[in-house]
Amino acid sequence: MPYDDPEPEDPQELVGVELPGDEAVTREMAAAFADEFAQLGFTRAQILALYREAEYSGAHQAWRLLGEDEVARIVDESVGVWGRFTCIVTDSPDRDGEPEPLRFIRRRS
Amino acid sequence: MPTVKNWQLGRNMDYPYDARYPSRQFAFVFNINRCIACQSCTMACKSTWTFSKGQEHMWWANVETKPYGGYPQWWDAKILAKLEEANPDGQVWGGKPADGRFGPYGTFEGQTIFEAAQRTLTSDSARVLGYLPTDEEWNSPNIYEDNPVGKRGVRNKLDETGEQLPVHNTWFFYLARICNHCSYPACLAACPRKAIYKRPEDGIVLLDQAECRGYRKCVEACPYKKSMYRGNTRTSEKCIACYPRVEGTDPETGGEPMETRCMAACIGQIRMQGLVQVAEDGSWAEDRYHPLYFLVHVAKVALPLYPQFGTQPNGYYIPPRWVPRAYLRQMFGPGVDRAIENYASPSRELLAVLQLFRRSNRIIYKYEIQEGPKIYEGSLHGRKVELYNDTVIAFGKTGREIFRTTIEEPIHVRSNAHANSI
Ligand code: SF4
Ligand code: SF4
Ligand code: SF4
Repeated sequence: MPYDDPEPEDPQELVGVELPGDEAVTREMAAAFADEFAQLGFTRAQILALYREAEYSGAHQAWRLLGEDEVARIVDESVGVWGRFTCIVTDSPDRDGEPEPLRFIRRRS
Repeated sequence: MPTVKNWQLGRNMDYPYDARYPSRQFAFVFNINRCIACQSCTMACKSTWTFSKGQEHMWWANVETKPYGGYPQWWDAKILAKLEEANPDGQVWGGKPADGRFGPYGTFEGQTIFEAAQRTLTSDSARVLGYLPTDEEWNSPNIYEDNPVGKRGVRNKLDETGEQLPVHNTWFFYLARICNHCSYPACLAACPRKAIYKRPEDGIVLLDQAECRGYRKCVEACPYKKSMYRGNTRTSEKCIACYPRVEGTDPETGGEPMETRCMAACIGQIRMQGLVQVAEDGSWAEDRYHPLYFLVHVAKVALPLYPQFGTQPNGYYIPPRWVPRAYLRQMFGPGVDRAIENYASPSRELLAVLQLFRRSNRIIYKYEIQEGPKIYEGSLHGRKVELYNDTVIAFGKTGREIFRTTIEEPIHVRSNAHANSI
């Protein structure tokens, strides 16, 4: 965090920039998060909880702008496709005893 | 100045040294759509390599909130502004995207940091256009997000009554960054002592601490600001690509190459790192079933970060699909529209390859798909989707299988407590 106020005379100081963005961008952002988390295996309730969580600021901002009902509709659509299936990871037999990274469902072959 | 081929720019460019290419190149793909800014990658690197005295400000791996964040602050806005100043209104792309592996994004008609330096800098030792960030700019790894703040103008004191998290009233995304182990490293080009070298076996760019005298030319030159100065040793340091892991000397995998710490720690499962084969002209040799080759050259969903700087970076990003295109085109070049289109409506093979991310810590050299039946067809957010139960098999360096993934409909097992209740 800078300790001083920005100096408007400094040409390298970013004081303010105009960013394009509208409801379509917010909607796409909400849909992207829903799709990604549904693919990661999160349930409807877990994904909706993320949108309500202020610390998960991207999703939360979309939730504030679009409202709970619209976000729930977007999440339902994503979970309706990605939530149908679970990814199963099967390690090759010679990896027995090796520490594992993050996983979904893992099986020994 | 010698001329080298830059496939990302689709043309030759000036570089202070003759081209020399490694047999394989350290490269990675980050899927920004997934990054949650948990900073596990950042901390994995910090706790492994930069936890000592004098390294407090160093984050070889960092995740910054775009568009306003940056570490060091405004690194990209500053170098973009310098290039614009050197070549006003000339930093544009033209030409048509090539079908092959040379110039897939068209031709960059502007000036790279090496070319702009010849125009604007006078001293012979100044081979690269750059700047030295101030100490204050290094202070804020992710400004307005992760930095505890005090009252304005009061140094070294936190707010005693607590602070609220910032509210963003616009789109944003998280950009995870490490050194790009560039094919034409600016850090290497700028070093007067030749203390920086690129390894012939894996293209990892290392800085020899014994040779470095702390001139900070690399810090000034690296457009991504991934070389950092350490005051108490008076030398510069940078990401070492966790080379013992990549070499396979970590005992965990018994000799097989392993992905780096920051990759392995990724909670959002956004990262995949590997070693791609390099052709004689420095472009990627065809390796159709290498997952990184597929993402960059076949599916074309992963794009280099600021390719216009000219270092031919080896970090690739699947751009966030919600962000306005003009911003993304500046950051990832003209390949953005095609990348987002292909990612938003993924092909059968792309869906399969995306299943390989973070399923193992070993480096994947090849994948194979065994086709299964179609299990779903429908629409999602207005786009058509088809899902198949394909089996994706990942192979390691020795050609042995590492793991395989399949898809199943979930089975719900009733808990013991309610086994008989209907
Ligand atoms: S990102 Fe910077 S430090 Fe890393 S190789 Fe490229 S120029 Fe050098
Ligand atoms: S590759 Fe290794 S050294 Fe480099 S940023 Fe990642 S964890 Fe740090
Ligand atoms: S660990 Fe992965 S998800 Fe978390 S901040 Fe780093 S890149 Fe993003």
